[in-house]
Formats: sequence, C-alpha cells, structure tokens
Amino acid sequence: MLGNKCEKCQAEFFPPVNICRACKSIDLKPLEMPGAGKILSYTLQKESVAGFEEQEPMVFGLVELSNGVRLVAQIVDFPYESLKIGSKVKAVFRRVKADGPSGQIYYGYKFGPPRSPRETSATEE
Amino acid sequence: MTAALSVFISRIGYTKVGDHWDKSLSEIAFQASKVLLKEEASPPDAIIIANALSELSSSQGNLAAIVADALDLKGVPAYRVEAAGGSGGSAINLGVNLIKGGQMESVLVMGVEKMRDLDPAKVMQAQGLSENADYSQFFGISIAAMNALLARMYMHEYDVTREKLSAFPVVAHKNSSTAEHAQFRKKFTNEEVSRSEAVADPLRVLDCAPVGDGAACALLVSEDKLSSEQRKSAVEVLATESSSNLVNFFERPKMLHFGATEVAAQKALKKAHLSMEEIDFLELHDSYSELTAISLESMGLSKQGEACNDAAAGRFDLNGQFPISTFGGMKGRGYPVGAAGVYQICEAFMQLTERSGFNQVPNARFGLVQSMSGIDSSAYVHVLGFAGRTGRN
Amino acid sequence: MRTSTPIAIEGYGAYIPFYRLPTTEVARIWHGGGAGANKEKAVASSDEDTTTMAVEAARIAVAMAGVEKNLGAIFVGTESKVYAVKPTSTIVAQALGCHEILAADFEFACKAGTEAMQVISGLVGSGMIDHGLACAIDTAQGRPGDDLEFTAASGGAAYVIGRSSRNSITKILGSVTYVSDTGDFWRRQGERYPRHLSRFTGEPAYFHHVETAVKNLFTEFKTKPSDFQYAVFHQPNPRFPVEAATRLGFTMKQIETGLLNPVIGNTYSGSSPLGLAAVLDIAKPQDKILLCSFGSGAGSDAFILEAQEPLIEKRKMGVPVRDLIENNVRIDYGMYTKFREKLQR
Repeated sequence: MLGNKCEKCQAEFFPPVNICRACKSIDLKPLEMPGAGKILSYTLQKESVAGFEEQEPMVFGLVELSNGVRLVAQIVDFPYESLKIGSKVKAVFRRVKADGPSGQIYYGYKFGPPRSPRETSATEE
Repeated sequence: MTAALSVFISRIGYTKVGDHWDKSLSEIAFQASKVLLKEEASPPDAIIIANALSELSSSQGNLAAIVADALDLKGVPAYRVEAAGGSGGSAINLGVNLIKGGQMESVLVMGVEKMRDLDPAKVMQAQGLSENADYSQFFGISIAAMNALLARMYMHEYDVTREKLSAFPVVAHKNSSTAEHAQFRKKFTNEEVSRSEAVADPLRVLDCAPVGDGAACALLVSEDKLSSEQRKSAVEVLATESSSNLVNFFERPKMLHFGATEVAAQKALKKAHLSMEEIDFLELHDSYSELTAISLESMGLSKQGEACNDAAAGRFDLNGQFPISTFGGMKGRGYPVGAAGVYQICEAFMQLTERSGFNQVPNARFGLVQSMSGIDSSAYVHVLGFAGRTGRN
Repeated sequence: MRTSTPIAIEGYGAYIPFYRLPTTEVARIWHGGGAGANKEKAVASSDEDTTTMAVEAARIAVAMAGVEKNLGAIFVGTESKVYAVKPTSTIVAQALGCHEILAADFEFACKAGTEAMQVISGLVGSGMIDHGLACAIDTAQGRPGDDLEFTAASGGAAYVIGRSSRNSITKILGSVTYVSDTGDFWRRQGERYPRHLSRFTGEPAYFHHVETAVKNLFTEFKTKPSDFQYAVFHQPNPRFPVEAATRLGFTMKQIETGLLNPVIGNTYSGSSPLGLAAVLDIAKPQDKILLCSFGSGAGSDAFILEAQEPLIEKRKMGVPVRDLIENNVRIDYGMYTKFREKLQR
C-alpha cells in the first residue's frame, strides 16, 4: 500500500495525491502505509460485480490505519458475525481477481484479523 | 452587474421508467421527445445528451451524434455529458449556462439510459464506474456496498435503527404508487422495507433504487424566445449550481456530510434570492436511503442524525412541510442513471405547472432539485419557479 | 556439502492459512481414511495461492533479517505454481520491492523448498550475493476422493540466508543431498492433480531417501542422533516421519515440536520448512537441529543447524507457528470445494 507524505506539512495520504490536501504543496514523497488498522464500518456484499463471482459473498470494510488514513478494502478470514466497528485488522497480500481461467492474475491488499496475540498488540500501537 | 438573462423550461417529455427491451437507446430517446419536437416550429440550437453507461450497456459511444441523428436533428450541435448518476443534473446545468452565456437561445437536454437487459453482475460493474477505479472498483466493491459502509457509519454515529432508515423508501413508494411513469407503483410498509432481502448489509433491496430504462427531456429556452403567453406556462430556472467533492467519501474529514450538495444548494438558493423555508418541494438524489438522510441534513432541512425521525413524522410527505421525491424519486420512480437528473426536472416542471394529479403538491411555487454523481463527488442543485411567481394557468 | 564461507539463517517467516478441513469431513463424503490419522488440514481461501502465501511468509522473514531490499536472490520452491509459465518469484520480488535480484521458481515435488535453501546457501557461501530468500510454499493438490485429499494442505515458510555473523539466528553447519529416479508420485504437464503409486511411496521412496540422506549426513559431519535437540522430517502423513525417525535412532521428544502434520496436514514443499519454523520458535541457543526433506521423484536434503543467541530476540518479530495453527476456523467439505476451485459454475 504505497501512499505518500507531504514533505512540508507531514500529512500522509492513501491513495497518494498529486497535491497535498492540507497545505497544497506538490513536494510529496512515496510512503508505505502501516499495515495495522481498525474497522470503522463493514458490509456483506451479496451480489457480485462482474469478475468477482467466485468470491461471492464478499465482505468489505472501511478501515482506519494506525496513522489515521482511511481506506476501503475487502475483509477476509473474518467470520462476518464477529466483525464489529472497532475490530482490529491487518493488511494481507491476496489475489484480487483474474482475467478468466487463462488470463493474468491481479494481486493486492486486503485486510484480515491478526493471527497472533503478538500481532494484536502491534495493531494497538 | 446587470441581471443575467433568464432561462425557462418550456416543454418536457419522458417515457415510463422500467423495461424497454424492445427499444435501443436512440429509440427510447425518440419516444421521449417525439411530441415535443414535432410541435416545436424550429429545432433547438443544441442538444445535450445525458448518459452514463452507454459504452457498457449498449456498446455505444459517440452518443451525441447517434441520438441527434435518431431525432432527425441533422445540423444541430450535439454534445454528450457523462457524470455517472449526476449526468442529467450536469447536462441541465450546462444547458442553462450555454443560454445564459448568450451563445444559444434554446437547448434540448435529453437524458437517456438503458440497462435492464444487462446481466446483474454487469449492472453492478457499470454502477461502480462512478468510484475510483484503482482503489475501489479494482477490489470488486459494488456501489451498493460503498453506500452500505456509509449507511452503517451513519446508523452507528447517530444511533439510527434499521427501522428508522426505512422511513425514506416508505415515503418514496407512497409517492410512486400514484405516479404513472414510475417503475414501481407499489407501496411498502416500514416492516417490508426493513425485512426485504439484504443487498449489502445493512442496506436492503428496498433501500436501493432500481435500475431502469428510460429517457426524459427538457427544452431550455432563453426569455427572449418566449412570448408573454408562452411564459405563463413555462417554468423558470431561477438558479443552477454545481460543486465537486473528494471522490472517495472515506477521505473526507466529515464523512457524514455532503459538502458538494451543501455548497451547491446554498449557492443556488442565494442566486434565486430564496431561503430554504420558501421551497415548496424537493426532488432528491435518493438512490440509497442514507443518501437521502445525509443530503437533507447537509442542506439544513434536518438536524444531524434527525432526518429519519423527521421522515417518520411526515415532514417529507406530499402534504408535509418539505415534500420530497414527489413522484417516488430514484427509489420509486426508478433510476435510469444518466437520465435520472432530467426526470427530476420533468417532475419539478409538472409540480410547478400543476400537472401532477394525485401527486400534486398544493400551491407549489418553488422547487429545489438535487442530483449527484457517485456519493456526493459532484452535486447539481437547481431552483425552479413558476414563471412570474404569480398567476397560474 | 559445506560452503567455503560459513552461512546462517538470518530471518524466517511462517504462513498457515486460516481455514481447517477436518479429515472426518473428507471421510464423510468419500469414506475411508487414507493415510489418515491427521486430525485436520490447513486450507487456503479462494483468494490465496502460492504467491500470496510466499509474500506473507517472506515479509516476516525479511523484516526479521533486517535486510529489506538488500536481497540478491529470491527462489520459490513449490509444486503449485500459479502460472505454468511466468515466475512466482518475480511477483514476490515485486511485492518486496526488489528488482536487482536473481529470481526463479524451483520444482522438486515436496523438496523444492529445501532445494531453494541449498541453492541460496551456495550463492551466499560463494560470495555472489549477500542475502537470499528461499520460500517453501504449496497449495497442495489432492484429487477429490484420493488418499491425498485427507492430507494435501496449504502453507509454508520462508528463510533469509546470509553469511554467518553475530547477528545470525541459526547457523547452517552443512548439508547433504541424495536423489534417484523413483516413480512414486508425479503430475504430468497440464494435469490438475498428481498421481501416485501407493506401493512405491513408502519404502523405495520416502524411507530410502530420508534414511540414506540422514545417514550420509551423520557420516560426513561425524554426528549422531543424540547430538540433536530437535529433528524435523518431511511429513506426508503423521506416521512416516515418526517411523523414519525411530529407525534412525531419534526419540519422539526430538521430533514432536516439528511434527505438524496431525494438525495442518501435508503442506508439500512447505512441510519440513514449516516444521523447522516451529522448532526455531522455541529453540535455545546452541541447540542442534536436523532438517530432512523428501521430494518424490525422488530425493532428500538434510541439514545440520545450530540455534544462536540472537534468535531469542529476533523471533519476537515473527508470528509463532503455534499461533498460526491455533488461530483457525473449521470449514466443511462444501466450503472446501468452493475455496479450492473444485466447483464448476
């Protein structure tokens, strides 16, 4: 998850921006986003968008990262019934979609539950 | 500054919203405009097509020329506007400004959309086009799920129950049940809405506007084109304003506030020299229940978190203080995405000219129309008034 | 085999997917118990594959090693490559932000992972590269109803290997390898599931290669079972590694820490490397560890490892194998067929 950071006012962005939303500076440097976050909102999407039928139903969440940046991502490995506003999550690397059985495979970030007490404490930093 | 030229809506046309399997995009557009064009002595100075999804739904681009040709408007400058669900609102805004700029005296705005013969997964994909391709669409999130994320936050923040949110579809369907051009002429109870099938939890199928085929058009003319007699039956565009916002709602500092809607509404009311209290009815972009609530709150019609309570109390009913979605809105009349904003204009026209039958808002003098692209990524607000603000036909 | 310059493990990362299929679920549908006795197996979700699991394990290993982008090679050892033609290793390299790097996929049935460790060892030992990453990962395939379906599991581990220093977490003191042409298990080009000759998988394949490799290791490095605190063997089922260990003179106490098959199944290339990760999670400095893989077709790599002082602190950066095992959700056979693309839509 490569975002960026304003060199002038230190504001952090994901998705990366061309112009700092806070101070209008164009002096921004790439910055890897922290992998830990918490759930601000979530949903179980019953009908799939074309190309995602295999994963139906999909869970999506609005995640606030530990640096305060918010993003929308698929939530995996999280039993839907136990998902709550405030649940701790961490970024994972997953297959997003494929161009059919013979086309290219696309990978990207999703979010899942911490797998170890060690990771849970990391998400609380 | 001298007073700018006034722009009027002299005529409208539209088809029923729903299934038009037997017609192409151009044919639906023709059905909506054939009477209007036949009765006009001369063709408009320009035509603007509002459409969001023709490339995906009909494998058709170059829509301006395609539709102009189908309407036998050879020689007329033709343009196409795409702004997702706000395409219609955007086209009206541009058409009015073309006339105000003095370049044109009459502009036909034609909203047309056709999606009903698409596979549902393709419809989801098409509707999702309004969101950021790399950071939303890429991951397979539907526009319904994006709205669901917003709805859950809204409900959580203001302690709004699922049942309370159902107030808006109930109002919309009450109005659409008597609207002849509506896709769903059926009333629903609060319980039916709350218990309908989950589309993207917590949103239910009855929270989500149904995609429909349809075309609607409005002929915009400058005041100089109208005789004093014609003016009596025309509706004046008192103001049309637009504003844009951060596309990803989750990047906004205040996620439960629609800044584009607020700014466009404030500017439009100011230009029209009206306060919200003087507005007799509103046509809202109510494609998902929480959009209606947040739009109302952002325009100051309800306190934050109170819109659902106000709706339940009848404030937004046809006979309430601020009737909304008087023919059912996107929710009840149906949601032909790019054409929706033009349907709203047609409906406001009917209210102001007292042609609304069962759906008539008594003594409607001023109407406010709000439409948006995506989730308030752009908002278009028009304030319309009956010509002269006095006597009626 | 010894490198001219001493080498060591600098970081390791394990990955076991979240879902478990109890073997009783496979038996419910197909009856029988196969090689049986494993309780459940780890199943990758529908959006997981060798690439994603390699990236998860690699990120931990690289962070623990503290080498970031200074890797000279990334090799992925697997028999479940995501593309028939297109390297998995370049996708892992991209995810780690590495570009000036040797990248290749290795295939040697279940020993592709230790094969990658051998080659990284050689590159580091010769001075060609400073640090290299070996990923041992599989989403093992088992034909529905086949004995393999009871055990074929997903998961694996990644190891960063560099020159031995006072920051190293575990020294690699030496290794041997032993191969022969044995037709115990194979998958032809274009086929979805492997085939095996049951009669050949035991004595002439697993036991012959494992025992020969370990005995050769004992001879070459003048060592014996009692010199080791831990021993990890390839685990196609719960029985084979125990049997081989016993025949070679190891006790249950030495092998139980690294014996994961009963609770996660056979992760093929990931099997013995994951067992090693479980051992590194608890080993004390100077503990000696034997690692022996087995790959059909056939061959075994055997290593002598020695835990070092920095392991105690550095392993806190990883996710313990025990936690990955215990953090799970059980699924039924229906969900399993959905996850592993055994359903036709």
